[in-house]
Amino acid sequence: MTYLIRRLAFMFAVLVAVTFLAFSATNVIGDPLFNVVGFYASVDCDAVIAGEIKDVIGTVAGTGVGECERVIEAREKYHLDDPLPIRYGHWIGGMIQGDFGESYANQMPVSSILAERLPKSILLMGVSMVVALGVSIPWGVAAAYRANQRFDRASTAGAFGLLSIPGFALAIILFYFFVVRWQIFPSRYMDDNIFSRLHSLVLPAASLGLPLAVVYQRLLRTDLITTLQEDFVIMAKAKGLSDRRIMFRHVLRPSMFGMITVVGLNMSALIGGTIIIESIFSIPGFGRELYVSAIRDDITVVLAGVTVTATAFVAINTAVDLLYSYLDPRVRRAG
Amino acid sequence: MPADTNEHTISSSRTAKYWRKRSSATVELAARPVGADAEPDPDRAPQRRLGVTFWAAIGWVALVTGAAVAAPLLPIADPDQIGIGPRSSGPNWDQWFGTDTVGRDMFSRTIWGARVSLMVGFFSIVAGFLVGGMMGVASGYRRGWIDLALGFVTYVMLSFPTLVLFLLVILLFGQGLWIVTAALSIVVIPSVSRLARAITIAFAEREFVAAARLLGATNRRVMAREILPNVLIPMSALLLLGLGLTIVAEGGLAFLGLSVADGFSWGKMIQLGAGLRTLQTAPWVAFFPIGAMFLTVLSLNLAGDRLRQYFDVRELGIGGR
Repeated sequence: MTYLIRRLAFMFAVLVAVTFLAFSATNVIGDPLFNVVGFYASVDCDAVIAGEIKDVIGTVAGTGVGECERVIEAREKYHLDDPLPIRYGHWIGGMIQGDFGESYANQMPVSSILAERLPKSILLMGVSMVVALGVSIPWGVAAAYRANQRFDRASTAGAFGLLSIPGFALAIILFYFFVVRWQIFPSRYMDDNIFSRLHSLVLPAASLGLPLAVVYQRLLRTDLITTLQEDFVIMAKAKGLSDRRIMFRHVLRPSMFGMITVVGLNMSALIGGTIIIESIFSIPGFGRELYVSAIRDDITVVLAGVTVTATAFVAINTAVDLLYSYLDPRVRRAG
Repeated sequence: MPADTNEHTISSSRTAKYWRKRSSATVELAARPVGADAEPDPDRAPQRRLGVTFWAAIGWVALVTGAAVAAPLLPIADPDQIGIGPRSSGPNWDQWFGTDTVGRDMFSRTIWGARVSLMVGFFSIVAGFLVGGMMGVASGYRRGWIDLALGFVTYVMLSFPTLVLFLLVILLFGQGLWIVTAALSIVVIPSVSRLARAITIAFAEREFVAAARLLGATNRRVMAREILPNVLIPMSALLLLGLGLTIVAEGGLAFLGLSVADGFSWGKMIQLGAGLRTLQTAPWVAFFPIGAMFLTVLSLNLAGDRLRQYFDVRELGIGGR
């Protein structure tokens, strides 16, 4: 129980640190006021409203008062006159209540941007996961079934090759053959119905999932070979069970633990990978939005993105750690 | 492969002997019958030689590095000169790798592109290993609040979405060569630090460390003279694997237009060739840099994996991860 509390406190502290770092960094990068009101950010607006400066941009006296009132309003609305920690407090407070702020670029609420973009990325990640597991489990079982025989050696070599292709290069190779040459898949994301969505996600999911499948296959193969040495395998064989039944019903299940742990940890790699893959296959997903927003200093969207991904990462990792400590009490003591 | 035959053939290094002894012990365990196949796992069977594949891989890396370093001296075309050949012409005798859409020589560009790729990859992995290694050794040896604080720092680094971290660093500090290198090394640090910590914990309990402490060595001296060499030798194998990772990461950054602003790397070249139009008319513009990157990363993976088996780091990963 104390372990659980300690873990949760740690998780909370990490999240505070990540969001605070991101918040301060983005506030240094772009002047938040400039993002809201443009040129007037640099004008001494208190003086304009007080009437001390008449001539703001070299035109008729008295202009700019209206704009300057907007500046003051924006300053109050975004708490821009407060010191950084207080602004952070306001921002994180809103965040917790589900108020993600609004995009500086188009004044849309960030939560609705997320609601529109996130499902596409989650679908992409889900399909990639299916590809990764669907390829790696049969592959790993087949390789471990006759370890060090011809198929296993060939698959080891193939795994090395596949592992050495960068994800974005694999995406371009697939894009070239399946889209440009053979025109089997569309060159951009089709959002008409679930079939067209899945159809246009095949290549992106393959580019994300195949490199992961290689990693999982290697892990699963090693664990399967270890499990195959257990006495219960000999027992099952002596009982006369078929090899297929032994592999899938008896050996696979206890060997999957290591792989599942890594599957959980890899979720964050998937989140990062979506940024590049989504821009190659023009998928209007969350990763692409995050990238575009960062380029144009749309900091509320970037901050929301950092918070969402970091929270997901920390939550998954904490869950995996807790699962570990539940299954293996030694972890609790080692801390 | 009995354990004692190893002893005669190994180099003078005491640590190497230690690693070999441990790994050959596992071979005997693994040699138990495995279902229908009684053969041991080849991953675990350490051979005493590094093998042809290893030297071929090292040879390719050396060739690419040599060509990249000597690029200004080689008799190749100017990589930036437009119209050196016809536009978008395929590989031929004058332009071995063909030309791109504005008629630049792809062979020369592939060699010049290696410069930024390799340089950023190399310096970032080295910096990441130095900083991460020191953090890991300090937290594994001192434990207590130092361990807690450094563990917290690595966890925060891990929790940041990688590409967003790059974006923030680059938007804050610009796209200079050393800034991109530093940004990449930040990504390497947490995993290196975790591994170094695990290895350190395993060594901190050993007799020679206790002996050094009994002789009155300071903590700093024990860490630098007793533990660090033992941590660095097995981790050097991971340096090659890590170099492959950083080269790919730089490629990804360059592909998004976020890497070094002046000059170009393989990733940038791939981006230039990856447009729908260019892929239709001149696919080689993307495929030659992809091929170069693939061969280099493959070589680094093969060589690194062979070295890792040679020193078998995996054994210790179980202890403290």
